[in-house]
Formats: sequence, C-alpha cells, structure tokens
Amino acid sequence: MDTFILIGITGIGLGALYFLIASGLSLIYGLMGVLNFAHGSFLTVGAFVGFWVASKMGAETSMPEFILAMIVGGLAAGLFALLIEQLLITRLYERHIDQALVTVGVSLVVGALLGGWFGNDLRMFPTPLWFLTAIDVGGAKIPADRVVYIATALLLLVGNWALLKFTRIGLVIRAGVENRNMVNALGINVKKAFSTVFFLGGFAAGVGGVLVSVYSNGVSPLIAGSYLIYGFIVVVIGGMGSVPGSFLAAMLIGIIRQFANYYVTGLGDFVVVILLAGVLLIKPQGLLGKVKA
Amino acid sequence: MLRWKYSRPLLALLLFVLAIAPLFAGNPLGKPGLQQTMAVAFLWGGLALTYDLLFGFTGLLSFGHALYFATGVYVSCILINHQVVPWWLAALIAMAVSSLLAFLVGAASLRTSGITFAMVTLAFGEAGHVIVNRNFFNLTGGENGIALDATHIPQIWIGVVNTKYIYWTALAALIFTYVVIWWVTESSAGRVFAALRDNEQRVQVLGLNTQHFKLLSFVISAALAALLGFVMLIAAGSAAPRFADSGVTISLLLMVVIGGAVTRWGAVLGGIFYSFASTRMQDLTQQESFKKIPHWIGGPIAEPALLLGLIFILIVMFSPGGLSGAYYRLRLKALSHKKP
Repeated sequence: MDTFILIGITGIGLGALYFLIASGLSLIYGLMGVLNFAHGSFLTVGAFVGFWVASKMGAETSMPEFILAMIVGGLAAGLFALLIEQLLITRLYERHIDQALVTVGVSLVVGALLGGWFGNDLRMFPTPLWFLTAIDVGGAKIPADRVVYIATALLLLVGNWALLKFTRIGLVIRAGVENRNMVNALGINVKKAFSTVFFLGGFAAGVGGVLVSVYSNGVSPLIAGSYLIYGFIVVVIGGMGSVPGSFLAAMLIGIIRQFANYYVTGLGDFVVVILLAGVLLIKPQGLLGKVKA
Repeated sequence: MLRWKYSRPLLALLLFVLAIAPLFAGNPLGKPGLQQTMAVAFLWGGLALTYDLLFGFTGLLSFGHALYFATGVYVSCILINHQVVPWWLAALIAMAVSSLLAFLVGAASLRTSGITFAMVTLAFGEAGHVIVNRNFFNLTGGENGIALDATHIPQIWIGVVNTKYIYWTALAALIFTYVVIWWVTESSAGRVFAALRDNEQRVQVLGLNTQHFKLLSFVISAALAALLGFVMLIAAGSAAPRFADSGVTISLLLMVVIGGAVTRWGAVLGGIFYSFASTRMQDLTQQESFKKIPHWIGGPIAEPALLLGLIFILIVMFSPGGLSGAYYRLRLKALSHKKP
C-alpha cells in the first residue's frame, strides 16, 4: 500500500510540473492559435534566473529565499515571453504556421546562447535542506520536494482560475478563447489580453523551470526538452484552451507514467503516447476541449 | 516561364562536375574529409526534400519526420548486424517498415489538422526517440547506439580511401529522391496534394477522399526518408539516438524554410547549406584565432544553432519563401520589366 501511495504522489508531483508548462501553452494556443515552441526557452530562462538568485544566497537556501528565487525566475521568464510576443509574434498576426516557426527559431537561439555561455553541464540548484527529507503519508515516505511541486501547481491553478473568473482582463481572455472575432467586433482591445496571456504563460513556465531544475538535480539549457513535449501532449489530451483540462490531463499523465515505469522500466513514455493516440481516436478535441465551430 | 532557359543544362553540368570531382586529386573534393562532409550534406538535402513533400507540397506541418528517418537507420542496421537478410534486402525492409509505421501513425494523427497535427506528430516522433534510447530487447544499444558491422556490407563502402564511394552513393540517393519527388509532385496525385494545401474543403466538395491523399503523401515521404536513413547508416557507420531526436525534424524544417518550400531545389539547397554550415562552423571554432574572441561572444557563436536560428527567424519574418522564393521574386521582377 505504501509503495502505491508513494508512486501515486510522485506521479501527481510530476503532473504538477507538466501542468505548469501546459497551462501557458494551452491558453496561448486557445486565445491566439500560436503553437509556442519557445515555451521551453521560457522555462530555461526562468530556471537560470532563479538559479542565479538562489546561488547568491549560498549553497543552500531557506524556504523564503527559495520562494523568492522562484518568483524572480517566474517574473524574468514572463518578461522574456512578453518581449518575444511584442517583438516577433504580434508582427506575424494571424500567420499561425509562421508564428510557430518563429518560436522554433527563438528556442534554438536561446538554447545556443545559454549553451555557449554556461555549457550544457548540470549545475546544482541550491534548495532548502528539508527538500531532501521525507514526509510520512499513510506509511509511505514521500520526498518533501514533491509536496512543493503540488502546492505550487495548485496555487497557480487557483490563481489562474481566480484571474480568469473575477477580473475584467480574465473575462476578455475567456471570451477571446471562445470567439476572438466577436470580442474584436465588440470593440474590445484583445491585444492586451494576448500580452497578459503570454506574460502569465511565461511566468508559470519560469516557476516550472525552477522546480524542474530541482527535480532533475540541476540547471542546464537542456532541461526543458522532454517537458515541452509532455506539455504538448497534456494540452492535446486535456483540450486546447482549457486550463482545467490541462490540469486533469497533467495529473492523469503524471500518475499513469509513474505507475507504468514502476512495473516496467521505460514503459511510461510509451503508454502515454498510446493514451494520446486513444484520445485522438475517440475524442479528437481532447477531454475538456470544445469542438470549434 | 519563371525557369531560366539555361537552368537545366547548368544543373546537368553541376551534377557532372560533382560526380567526377573525387576522381581528380587537385581539387578539394579529392580529399576524403570534404567527400564525407558533402556525402552527409547530400543526404540532408534529400531528407529536406522528403520533408518539403509534406510541409511545402501537401501543407502538413509534421514534427515527427525523424521517426521515419531513424526507422530506416535502425531497422537496416539491426537486420544487417544480426545477419537476418543481405544488406540490400535490409534497406528494402526498412523502407517497408517505415511506410507501415507512417501509415499507422498517419491514420491516427491525420484525424487532427493544423497545429494539433504538429503536436501529435511531435509526440509520436518523441516516442520513437524514447524507444531507441531505452534499448528494448538489447536491440538499439540505448544511448550509445549501435555500430554497423562492416563485414556484412560491400567492402567498397569501408575505409577512408573508399570515402568517394560513399560520396557517390549519397549523391545517387539524393538524385533518386529528387526524381521520385519530382515525379510524385508533377503527377495527378501531386496536384491533389497542392490543392489540399491551398483549399481542403474544395477538394472535399470535388468528391475526393482528403484523408487518403494526405496519408499517401505521408507514406511516400516516410519511405524515402527511410532509404536516406539506410545511406546515412553507411555514411555515419552507426545508428545513434541523435538520428531519432526531434531536433532532426526541426533542422529539416529550418532547411526547407531557409531554402524555400515548394520549389524542390530550394529544399535541397537549404539542406546542403545547413548541413555544410553546421559542420564547417564547428571546425572554424576549433582554430586558435577564434579562442581570442571573448567568451560571452565566442561561446554562443561556437553553437551553429545561433546563426542558423537567427537566419531562420529573419527569413520567416521578412522573406517567406526563403532563398528560392526570393530568387523567383527577383526573376518575376526582371521579366515584367522586359515586357512592356
């Protein structure tokens, strides 16, 4: 039973990391139709800035210091995302394929810059010491850092939901995902919503970057790779433009992957792709996605 | 009309020069080093062309093309190493396996379209990368890949002195790919591919099954990619996970966009240029004079992705259609000036 709980909670922790990436991807796609390959570089930028802040504090950080690093990393990634949006994406208005291509270029350039400056070796991320301890849940010893991932993802989910539900800009974003042309026709400036979504997506990815570098034992320009791909899978399974869908799919994939890997090493990735194929065959629009008219 | 009247004789001349150059010692192509570099560049040129069939001619933005190329590399390598069949049959089986895989993956992922299709193919492609990395049944050698057993292929492909034979094989594979894709894209099925790209609904209204034609394009491109994978196995001497990486597909996309889609020669040129530039830039950065450049500039420049990525962004932003598109635009301008 305790192994069962351990694998389950580790899976949820992994799912939380996927969600941090997928939530931004999903909103950006839902609102603007942009397939954002640069999302991985938002994650890496956030990880490096967070690492820079944390390493200023010493070889290990206290919890407030770690949270500070996470927030600064998130803000840096958000601003970077905003810059990319203003500089490149908006100029290719409605040219969706070209927008996707440009973000591919951005991810290559960012990877080359960071790789050239810092090398591709892992650098230890200074974390609070208690991340290495274990928490007892129903007899299972859960590594403490998993709890941090889950808490952060939940916080962002609630924050995201509150913003979308209770603010004006959130209303514009939701309406834009539903039918952008109509929002435009009503004379509401959607551009501000675009920028907000890019900033928020970048912020979530940056925070995710800090957590991913804790999870993969260090920072390097290469950490984003598999997370971006899992982010895409989560978005497709959850349904494009649906943040709750992304959350559901992220948790599902995290848990399924951990359990499959536990029974047969390496089976996890395979099962996830089969799941993807299955969802596409039965429900091409994803679990909580709407059929576009 | 846009074709320059001398372009075909010039192309024949260029091919002739490229084909006979390794026979003479005096020129750079007489040395095995450049022959190897060019052989790999030809193969990338061919691969870019198979990608152009999907992306340029049929309008399918696939991010999983590496899967079919890697299938060619790995299946032929495994069959040759375990002496299941002779090498030429191994190449054919690899093409067949790749086509079947493309058929299955295509049948599932073509249920989606546009950007979702891109994501889904990326996921399938990445699954291939994961599989070869995991070394199931000890077949794929995991992260290290598998070395090709040189005793089971014709001896003219072995050894540094014989690099010219690899060069010729690669050139022949490129020409073969070009001819097949030329034939496909000029055939009536090719017309349907182009129509699908431009206006899918219209094709549907005409009573054609759009899925079938997309799947056909997907399978042809996968089969050719597997053939080029087999030749790449000969040229590289091993099957490695880097051939299955999604980075392969992204490079192909860059090649096609830089060279220009839908013109065929644009993709080939883009592929050759990209591969050649990446190899040569790595050599350049090894030189002494390069080490004097401060690290904050020199470090990133040493990564070929920086310059190629920047060129790519600039072309997407300012010159859609790439190099060959720019050429045709200039030519159109020149022609319209001539006629009153």
